[in-house]
Amino acid sequence: MRLILLAVLSLFFSLSVIAQNEEDITGRKAPNFKLVNLDGKYVELNNISGSGPILLSFWATWCKPCLEEMSEYNKIYEQYKDKGFVLLAVSTDTEKSVAKVKPYIKSKDYKFAVVLDTNGEVARKYYAQQMPYTVLIDKNGNIVYSHLGYMKGDEQKVEKLISELLEK
Amino acid sequence: MKTSIYRITILLILIFSSRIFCQKDSRWFLLPDGLGFSNHLEYSYNTDTTVIHNEILENWLNLDYNKNIFSAGLRFEVFQPNDPDPSVSRGKVRYADITYKYFTVDIGDVEEGLNITAGNFYKLFGRGLILKSYEDRNIRVDNNLLGVKVEANYLGFSLTALSGSAANSVNERQDILHAMDLQYNGLNFVKLAATLASNQPNIDGVARTTLAAFRLQPSYWNFDGYAEYGIKSNKDDQLKYFNDDEWKVGEAFYGSLNFYYDAFSIVGEYKYYDNYAFTSSDGTIYYNTPPSLRKEYTYVLLNRHPSPLDQSNEEGYAVEVNYNFSDETSFIVNYGVTRTLPNSSYYQRVNNSANLISTQLKEVYLQATHGWNESFTTIAAFGYNEELSTNTKNITPILENKFYFDDINTIKLVLEHQQTENLTTNEKYYDDVIALEYLRSPNFNVSLVAEMQTKEPEEGNIVRKIWSFIQLGYKLGNHSDISLLIGSRQAGNICIGGICRYEPAFQGIELKMLTRL
Repeated sequence: MRLILLAVLSLFFSLSVIAQNEEDITGRKAPNFKLVNLDGKYVELNNISGSGPILLSFWATWCKPCLEEMSEYNKIYEQYKDKGFVLLAVSTDTEKSVAKVKPYIKSKDYKFAVVLDTNGEVARKYYAQQMPYTVLIDKNGNIVYSHLGYMKGDEQKVEKLISELLEK
Repeated sequence: MKTSIYRITILLILIFSSRIFCQKDSRWFLLPDGLGFSNHLEYSYNTDTTVIHNEILENWLNLDYNKNIFSAGLRFEVFQPNDPDPSVSRGKVRYADITYKYFTVDIGDVEEGLNITAGNFYKLFGRGLILKSYEDRNIRVDNNLLGVKVEANYLGFSLTALSGSAANSVNERQDILHAMDLQYNGLNFVKLAATLASNQPNIDGVARTTLAAFRLQPSYWNFDGYAEYGIKSNKDDQLKYFNDDEWKVGEAFYGSLNFYYDAFSIVGEYKYYDNYAFTSSDGTIYYNTPPSLRKEYTYVLLNRHPSPLDQSNEEGYAVEVNYNFSDETSFIVNYGVTRTLPNSSYYQRVNNSANLISTQLKEVYLQATHGWNESFTTIAAFGYNEELSTNTKNITPILENKFYFDDINTIKLVLEHQQTENLTTNEKYYDDVIALEYLRSPNFNVSLVAEMQTKEPEEGNIVRKIWSFIQLGYKLGNHSDISLLIGSRQAGNICIGGICRYEPAFQGIELKMLTRL
């Protein structure tokens, strides 16, 4: 038992050691996905990437920090949308709460794209174990940043990275 | 004791040394192009000597590879030992193996495309009335299918056909599920779809169970709707319970209608699930999880008396209204009722029962959010529910305040109070939870949570129980999140849409770490 525990923790330790630090902005290729938006049309990541940074925001209507974060991301979206920045809010609401997604978005008058990942298939591809979860993709399709959870102030780092990516 | 100190010391050394290493520039390390990696560790040590396992270690490691149209991956799981609750461990008491592996080819695009997966996979049809194969680690549900799945898009049609087998309660894959879903997306105002699924038992002479459903999703102006009707048939049951006079043994309907206008929105949902649980022949695998119409709560006490979903014996509705007075002020009102079915239902006839209709769940939830200024926000909430499985009536007021010191520092205080009346024993008691949390973006948060339960078993004899813990959260670089809990926690439920996992009372340390590359 002790050996197994040590083996798993050592593996874990190794992962932490190799985890890239905050200055490292090179990551894996963003997996492609096809999801339905609020109007019932398919959205494919490969079709929207290439022109600028894409922010994937995994959220759910029942998740309070997600709604707080979304409000902040909307401000960033309004500021940078004309420069090629794309915000794609990926709702992970399951069949139990997916009916509430569109009414919520409409009542807040958010204009960014929202897609429905009702069975969590895309969340699994991006290792979004908890909500909210943020992934920033550069115009070459590489994941340059990911962030789990939301605390006020987290959006500053995201905005800084988006600004840097837009200047490149 | 000595062993515990040894293990805790190792954990702490590893965590702190990880942090030290992370300070350095590790740009030298890059995963090969296309490779993705994640690890999820949960370790707990319960100091209560009466529990079956003091230690529980669970680890999920994912490795995925994408190259052009191809992708493949696996998940290696370690449970040594696992949670002693059989509904959680599902036959994996001491376990270390590759539990999920897949190979996918994805050709074409959203207009004309083909996607073929061999190996393990998940799939949801519509809103889960017939099929919802999924993993939710929080509630330890994983009914993945092992087999083949083909998805195709062409001329506005989306077709999914699959054949697979899910693991039962002793981790054996026996029955085979065949299913097909065809959807037409070519019309702007409505989407039409039909589903057919059949479970072939692994026992000779036992009839297969077949479910079929038709659904439509109309959309017009500021209205959106969803309606799905399904039937269930099983030759053995038809003969055994209905002398072959009925051509079906169960039926279900789910419908929702949304309306939004400006800052106002309303969602109404209705359900009728009559003997519609779609299970393996041994009854331990649930293939379907239709919408439960239960409000999802993040507050602790509102999940204390959950109402489990019953796909075979429910009828009810839920209405939720959202209104945003301004950017600072918003309201949510939710009301829902779930009842059991009358004795004319398939469920009661199959079970040869004559129970009266009873209210399984009645819930009311009100929430007001107001931002007083840029630094201070208040959420006031009120929950009321009557729940049949625990036969309790619960009244729960909640107050949450958030104070933002500056751009990155936040203090959050949550006060929850719940008055419970047990309708079986007439016992009345109340619980109080106080949670104080400090958050410092982007790396650190710490919370202190205390709960007190007050009971009066005899008049004048007040008995109080207290649980308290401290929880630390920290980000190790950009890719790892660690959480450490020390203290005691009251027994409770983690619920997601009527599917709950019971967590017994706990006293000790709990470590969680998520890493992704």
